[in-house]
Amino acid sequence: MDLVLNRADYLQVGVTSQKTMKLLPASKSRATQKVVVGDHDGVVTCFGMKKGEAVAVFKTLPGQKITRLELGGVLNTPQEKIFIAAGSEIRGYTKRGKQFLSFETNLTECIKAMHVSGSDLFLSASYIYNHYCDCKDQHYYLSGDKINDVTCLPVEKLPQITPILACQDRVLRVLQGSDVMYEVEVLGPPSVLALHNGNGGDSGEDVLFGTSDGKLGLIQITTSKPINKWEIRNEKKRGGVLCIDSFDIVGDGVKDLLVGRDDGMVEVYSFDSANEPVLRFDQMLSESVTSIQGGCVGKDSYDEIVVSTYSGWVTGLTTEPVQKESGSGEELKINQEMQSKIASLRSELEHLQYKVLQERENYQQASQSSTAKTALSSISINDKFTLNKDDASYSLILEVQTAIDNVLIQSDVPIDLLDVDKNSAVVSFSSCDAESNDNFLLATYRCQANTTRLELQIRSIEGQYGTLQAYVTPRVQPKTCQVRQYHIKPLSLHQRTHCIDHDRPMNTLTLTGQFSFAEFHSWVVFCLPEVPEKPPAGECITFYFQNTFLDTQLESTYRKGEGVFKSDNISTISILKDVLSKEATKRKINLNISYEINEVSVKHTLKLIHPKLEYQLLLAKKVQLIDALKELQVHEGNTSFLIPEYRSILEEADHLQEEYKKQPAHLERLYGMITDLFIDKFKFKGTNVKTKVPLLLEILDSYDQNALIAFFDAA
Amino acid sequence: MLLPVFTLKLRHKISPRMVAIGRYDGTHPCLAAATQAGKVFIHNPHTRGQYFRASRVSQSPLESDVSLLNINQVVSCLTAGVLNPELGRDVLLVGTQTNLLAYDVYNNSDLFYREVADGANAIVLGTLGDVASPLAIIGGNCVLQGFDHEGNDLFWTVTGDNVHSLALCDFDGDGKKELLVGSEDFDIRVFKEDEIIAEMTETEIITSLCPMYGSRFGYALSNGTVGVYDKMARSWRIKSKNHAMSIHAFDLNSDGVCELITGWSNGKVDARSDRTGEVIFKDNFASAIAGVVEGDYRMDGHVQLICCSVDGEIRGYLPGTAEMRGSLMDTSMEQDLIRELSQKKQNLLLELRNYEENARAELSSPQNEADGQRDVIPANTRLHTILSVNLGSETQAAHTELCVSTSNDTIIRAVLIFAEGIFVGESHVVHPSVHNLSSSVCVPIIPPKDVPVDLHLKAFVGYRSSTQFHVFELTRQLPRFSMYALTSPDSASEPLSYVNFIITERAQRIALWLNQNFLLPEDTNIQNAPFQACFTSLRNGGHLCIKIKSSGEITLNTDDIDLAGDIIQSMASFFAIEDLQVEADFPIYFEELRKVLIKVDEYHSVHQKLSADMADDSNLIRSLLVQAEDARLMRDMKTMKNRYMELYDLNKNLLNGYKIRCSNHTELLGNLKAVNQAIQRAGHLRVGKPKNQVITACRDAIRSNNINTLFRIMRVGTAPS
Repeated sequence: MDLVLNRADYLQVGVTSQKTMKLLPASKSRATQKVVVGDHDGVVTCFGMKKGEAVAVFKTLPGQKITRLELGGVLNTPQEKIFIAAGSEIRGYTKRGKQFLSFETNLTECIKAMHVSGSDLFLSASYIYNHYCDCKDQHYYLSGDKINDVTCLPVEKLPQITPILACQDRVLRVLQGSDVMYEVEVLGPPSVLALHNGNGGDSGEDVLFGTSDGKLGLIQITTSKPINKWEIRNEKKRGGVLCIDSFDIVGDGVKDLLVGRDDGMVEVYSFDSANEPVLRFDQMLSESVTSIQGGCVGKDSYDEIVVSTYSGWVTGLTTEPVQKESGSGEELKINQEMQSKIASLRSELEHLQYKVLQERENYQQASQSSTAKTALSSISINDKFTLNKDDASYSLILEVQTAIDNVLIQSDVPIDLLDVDKNSAVVSFSSCDAESNDNFLLATYRCQANTTRLELQIRSIEGQYGTLQAYVTPRVQPKTCQVRQYHIKPLSLHQRTHCIDHDRPMNTLTLTGQFSFAEFHSWVVFCLPEVPEKPPAGECITFYFQNTFLDTQLESTYRKGEGVFKSDNISTISILKDVLSKEATKRKINLNISYEINEVSVKHTLKLIHPKLEYQLLLAKKVQLIDALKELQVHEGNTSFLIPEYRSILEEADHLQEEYKKQPAHLERLYGMITDLFIDKFKFKGTNVKTKVPLLLEILDSYDQNALIAFFDAA
Repeated sequence: MLLPVFTLKLRHKISPRMVAIGRYDGTHPCLAAATQAGKVFIHNPHTRGQYFRASRVSQSPLESDVSLLNINQVVSCLTAGVLNPELGRDVLLVGTQTNLLAYDVYNNSDLFYREVADGANAIVLGTLGDVASPLAIIGGNCVLQGFDHEGNDLFWTVTGDNVHSLALCDFDGDGKKELLVGSEDFDIRVFKEDEIIAEMTETEIITSLCPMYGSRFGYALSNGTVGVYDKMARSWRIKSKNHAMSIHAFDLNSDGVCELITGWSNGKVDARSDRTGEVIFKDNFASAIAGVVEGDYRMDGHVQLICCSVDGEIRGYLPGTAEMRGSLMDTSMEQDLIRELSQKKQNLLLELRNYEENARAELSSPQNEADGQRDVIPANTRLHTILSVNLGSETQAAHTELCVSTSNDTIIRAVLIFAEGIFVGESHVVHPSVHNLSSSVCVPIIPPKDVPVDLHLKAFVGYRSSTQFHVFELTRQLPRFSMYALTSPDSASEPLSYVNFIITERAQRIALWLNQNFLLPEDTNIQNAPFQACFTSLRNGGHLCIKIKSSGEITLNTDDIDLAGDIIQSMASFFAIEDLQVEADFPIYFEELRKVLIKVDEYHSVHQKLSADMADDSNLIRSLLVQAEDARLMRDMKTMKNRYMELYDLNKNLLNGYKIRCSNHTELLGNLKAVNQAIQRAGHLRVGKPKNQVITACRDAIRSNNINTLFRIMRVGTAPS
């Protein structure tokens, strides 16, 4: 059975954060549910649908930006009390809109995540987790990296309270009281947690998670250890997961998994007989899906998926068939409803337009006076700058609440901007003068009408670091633009990991001197991505990293006065040495740098590169042959005369071409890294081998692993 | 929603833009398309029996209903249609870089096979103006040629640059078709037979043209722009980051008006309303679109829109019925409308909020707050722009300069200029480093061609530490001859070449024209006639003198014949001159042209000699091969070996000969282009009737190989009687 869902827009509120829209449980008299949503203006809106019109139940006054909205209530009764988190305050409303709770927490930071269960309240700010019971502080935990979401296993089913934190360093932390019971490493930085089936499954221990790189998984959190049930890798390169819900939209008696992503994708997974998820439905909306829930809002007896999007649209994807298929009388009625809706919107617009014209005139007049000032109100921009592990490139996503006019990208480091299929903006590269104005890249993206989301892909080179700036101009009068800055770090292609192979031959870089723990931590933050800005607790810390392109690894251990980096890649050590000595000189800190180079490591790195290089070379060769072979095929009519190797190339032609297209310039990047390796190896020996680089490139052109290793040894 | 009525997947690649549908047997429509390896395939799903049986045509080994036609050269254009009305069936026309083939598929016979030295980049079939029989018109290197069904050259003229696209359209509404020509110099020219009646300058190479209805036509550029013109006025255009591969006019929503159907390089097909450019239908293919055509492919009396992708996927769409009007897309119109209106409302609300907050900020913070931090700038901040000529320095070439400055202490963080045709992309950005920020920014501009350009400026104004900037938007026009600096008359050594003509305009009007088209210093003050103005080109330092006598006689002194032509055309349109005869002499240019003409003769004779050599060699090969095989049969291995050795050497010779022929050919093409351009330039110096007279006379002179007459015509504008 195919799932067909039709889109219906209900209402637009202000910009929304992740997980800020819920459906109130249906009351007995009416089958349709009410929607409650909180936005960045601080307004909580509760509305129901009546004859296709949104009818407000209540609306609160504006205030601080609402970051979370949850439903709660006495356990085992309908959960219809509304809790919102705004700033460091928690407020509670009844379903009629009466405020019954205002609780100023003692958190110094803004609340980022919230979970409500009976009289227990689980809150987290950036790094701090707090558990309150009846608004009394119970437990506290300071996390090593940013907390993205918090949930708790159902207390009705389990004897003890088990809160779970989703932390940016790719770990779920399972707590007991104020202590970590254990940590679970997951596929990517988890961005959202949800109880399986809404109640933790049969055992009450099943937790769903979604990651910011688009992966999903189910883990059973038992008292002793985690059990991985299933994982969905992000094969189609869709956006990061922002919200998850369980609801039986297919109507087969099993709750399906509803997923909303930050590229506007809404997905429905149902479960097969082996309890494995299968994709049943997907639909693209134009902007981030911030919250998702299954229920019934538009019309009773038709189930639907209700989503809220970044710019505040509350939209239903309903099982109700479109008007064409319903009876003719019905159609007329719907059409009339639509017409009246359009008419009212139009009159509203006219009124607004008049008002805007007046204000515009006032503004113009004000600009004549010499004392007046013009300020800018900021339009919120949602941005994300992340490293893709698969192709070792960064993706920059910019999302604005209104249409984007143009974006100027400026960079003071050499980087490549890649073409992204999803993005329809017209790009134009401007010539730039690198010497006088520090511009290595100047590009404008002129967006098509109604583009609110822009995705860019950027390829960086390790060792070259600096800042990338995006000037975003939305299509709103008076025109303004906002600058966003992103740091391209020296080891930009490295990613945090939690375990490394200790048997590899390692090169060591040791730094000693008069520096504090926090100081050294700031240097590590400067050099490497995915390190928390805040120095972690304790006196000594170890971080592990992996190079996403070459799979080499890096270990950094430091304390006050001493820092040690270990890597099997000489280039990594060389970059760190250069950057850190430069930084120390800038801050006038005396550093003792010593290094220990392991000759075997070079061979080891070359061996790591070998399969990748060989694969790429073979792929390039095969792709080159495809056209000629196809021509032969047309000429001869069959392929039986070809050797099996060529026949298989023809059979796989489409696949090969796709693979080749996916990794542009992969070979050049590999060549670049081998050249760096070569130069760095001899740099540590104190010899400059730049003159021999052409010779190396010659060897690479007719690649043979042994010849290459011999060249590295001989030079 | 509109769904394809049929989908086919052929296992042949289709070359972009080389798709045509024709009734080659008079009844069944068949699809012909160029594919790899110099072949053309014909897809005939109607009759399974093979009636194409002959040397040129072979059955495709991959597909049962596809026949292959060997051209053995890269196909550069292809079309099908009625060339000989008496034949009763369509003819397939295939153009390559050297030849044009008119082929009768049904009889497997050539109607004609003509050598075309200027190549065939584009082809169109139909009736032109008053010419009675249908013509196959091809566009090559600066040349247009029209052939009738016997291969007679009935139409010949030159155009400004290499032709990339052709279309026939009733441009002036007289019931007869005019020829639209899109060429490499970004111009769309309209030929009423061999007279140019209109010229539109676009911003990139025109890759496709298609008639819509009446005087409307669609066009596509190589930078991803598509649009529609009505006569000389552009109705709309849109630009995409993808390239339009093929455009076609088709009434998809049955409203009686054709839509512009565009096939894109990313596999998208969209239909846009001819009036507004609004998308009314779209579909996606897995690979780039190769061509969009129409035909009754199912033979049921309904014409379908047929889209082909480069991978051989073919989809046919029937136009939507009248009831479906406006709902060709899968979402309902009302929903979209509501969404659009709500978006508008949201925008207005945002704008209102901007003003409110602005007012509030004004009330709450008098002057004391540190500016910049709150991104507050004085309300009376103005942006000034000055266009001037910069003569350059040792490090920087001479250029036109645009200086942007603010009226107070605010700084300009960056300047974006959007303009077409003068930058590498569509925009140019100046983003000073943090240390070099100031309240003024100068942008050097070097327009590559003498065309007037609108500069759309966006300046980000704020303070040093701002993270938000005010965007000032304004538009300045760059005059047509901005790359010429005014110099004092005596210092300029006057060029020998000149153009003389008489116009009856007052000196003040001419001064006005000068002011609008050149960047003159502000204090320039032009007295009454006679006066003269001298300029130096910033590109190559060449001189230009404009002398106006009180009698109305104007003399232009410049060695640049293109510049002289541009000035005359600019004056003609400014003063609304319909016909203008001039007297011109460009001794340097004419001398070069004379050399070129001699070279053309040389290359022609070399070409003939090489061809003769090749014929000799091929005879030799034949005899050698026979001798070698004889020797083999006689088991005289030594002789056989010798013969084969000789054959090998001969083959090498042939290969070398081929290379020489190739380079000879490219040289020849280059020179022919120069000759064609010379004729075009000579025409460009005149306006209206004299212009056409010059072109026709020049062409006759070249045909009769009368070089001296040619130069005389170029000088005085008429043939000696």
